[in-house]
Amino acid sequence: MKRDESTALVRREALSPDAFLLHFESETLSRSFLPGQFTMVRMPDRSDLLLRRPYSFCDSRFEDRTFSLLVKIAGKGTKALTELPIGGRISCLGPLGSAFRLPDVGRKPVVVAGGVGIAPFVAFCRVLAKRGEAATVLLGGRSAHDLYLRSVFEALGMSVRTSTEDGTHGHRGLVTELLARALEQDEPMELYSCGPTPMLLRVAAMARDKGIPHQVSLERRMGCGMGCCLGCVVYTRTESGGEYLRSCTEGPVFDADAVAWERDPYPL
Amino acid sequence: MTTEPDLSVEVAGIRFRTPLIAASGTFGYGTEYLEVADYDAIGGIAVKGLYLAPREGAAPPRIWETPSGMLNAIGLQEVGIERFLEEKMPRLRELGVAILVNICGSSLEEYAELAGILDGVEGVAGIEMNISCPNVHQGGILFGCDPRMAAAVTEAVRARTRLPVIPKLTPNVTDIGMVARAVEGAGASAISLINTIPAMAIDVETRKPRLANVVGGLSGPAIRPIAVRLVHQARQAVRIPILGMGGITNHEDALEFILAGAAAVQIGTMSFVDPSVWKRTRDGLADYCRRHRVASLSSLTGALVADVTAVPQGW
Repeated sequence: MKRDESTALVRREALSPDAFLLHFESETLSRSFLPGQFTMVRMPDRSDLLLRRPYSFCDSRFEDRTFSLLVKIAGKGTKALTELPIGGRISCLGPLGSAFRLPDVGRKPVVVAGGVGIAPFVAFCRVLAKRGEAATVLLGGRSAHDLYLRSVFEALGMSVRTSTEDGTHGHRGLVTELLARALEQDEPMELYSCGPTPMLLRVAAMARDKGIPHQVSLERRMGCGMGCCLGCVVYTRTESGGEYLRSCTEGPVFDADAVAWERDPYPL
Repeated sequence: MTTEPDLSVEVAGIRFRTPLIAASGTFGYGTEYLEVADYDAIGGIAVKGLYLAPREGAAPPRIWETPSGMLNAIGLQEVGIERFLEEKMPRLRELGVAILVNICGSSLEEYAELAGILDGVEGVAGIEMNISCPNVHQGGILFGCDPRMAAAVTEAVRARTRLPVIPKLTPNVTDIGMVARAVEGAGASAISLINTIPAMAIDVETRKPRLANVVGGLSGPAIRPIAVRLVHQARQAVRIPILGMGGITNHEDALEFILAGAAAVQIGTMSFVDPSVWKRTRDGLADYCRRHRVASLSSLTGALVADVTAVPQGW
């Protein structure tokens, strides 16, 4: 059930100079979202920010009735949210959108995330851990401080591998190079990805080559989150050709095979 | 005064239980907000603009936030009249609110054909004609900018339906009165104004426009004073009722339009921002009526007091 709820910031964790994990208190939201879903955030005290901003639910803790959002400063909306004082309130409309489907029985989940693209996978891996499953989590970033929350994934029993473009942590290079190695394993897999478009494109091509199912979470500019403004569309292939689907309603999690990447203008 | 103020209004023979109507293109096909908005506070819904055939819409990026406003170029992505009547209309009928079907066309004949199809469809209270969309390359705003074209398309629609016909006008004209008079003369039952204002924003770092369509339509509080002025000017020009809109966020904003001459108002962008806008605005209007001893909200339409002397105007 979607609702619009006023929630207070209870804790702010700095993950890097420009990325924060923000914990908000809400009994209902902390329990009701599925991994991959998102919320539309409004800061009622910031009249200069008219439109809500979409954020993936990152994680939740039932025991203290909180959920968290991973926010990296990228513009005035994200900046304002990271500057919210403890106790400050935001309105969260959600949970919204599609969720990740769990892997088919017998398929090993492999997560490929770039930068803040790891946000939806904490909750996802928590669900896997509860089921006694372990995913391979491939985290990529420019530098070591872009590899957020890797200890959380490790604590959940996930097998974490990292890459940085500057070589400050893990493999020196791109996360898709880690994926190429992982794909050499001869076992059935299911891919889950979120991150910058060039990374997603590469992951999608690799998955297609090997015939591996691949779910992708796409971040788009959104006006309403409710399926009405049609601002957040993604071009997808259909049997009869193609159509724009709403990343807020049919997405944000799509089957990567359905996305018409060549018509996707977002560089991120 | 002990009785509850009457917030219902009648516009061109259509009964709206509250004067608050969801603006076309901001409320989908009516059911999207059922879980989060108070539908009892909504008097009517103008559905997303429809053509005869489905349309893909413009390439993204389609939206951008500007100071107190929202820029959009959706390009009228829609399902087409056939799918609308089959899939959307049955659920719309059950909502108990007045349904305005917003129609678009790239030719006069297309508008007329849509009007003919909608005539007699159960649950359709009226036809809102989009002759003001800034984001389509044929029709749309081209009809609304020229009083003769606006009249011709209104007349064509009028001839094909017994339903109330409500052209939605663009602010992008020198003299709104001329266009309003033209459509009134052609048989319009009421007018909706304003549609979005053609506008543009640029990312200076990349030197690229913020929208793929380059130019879009501006909505939200930024455009409200312009919209209020246009409603006021149209009120002087025509006798048919006006559905006023442009950046309404609360009951005070709604009252500005009503006092300027609107019989009812539409809310769009603010419904994206805050789905509680319907309840807040309805309750605020009721409270205003009680405080000002107004028995029926409709008596406030055009009740602007022109004399501004001796009025305390704290700001």
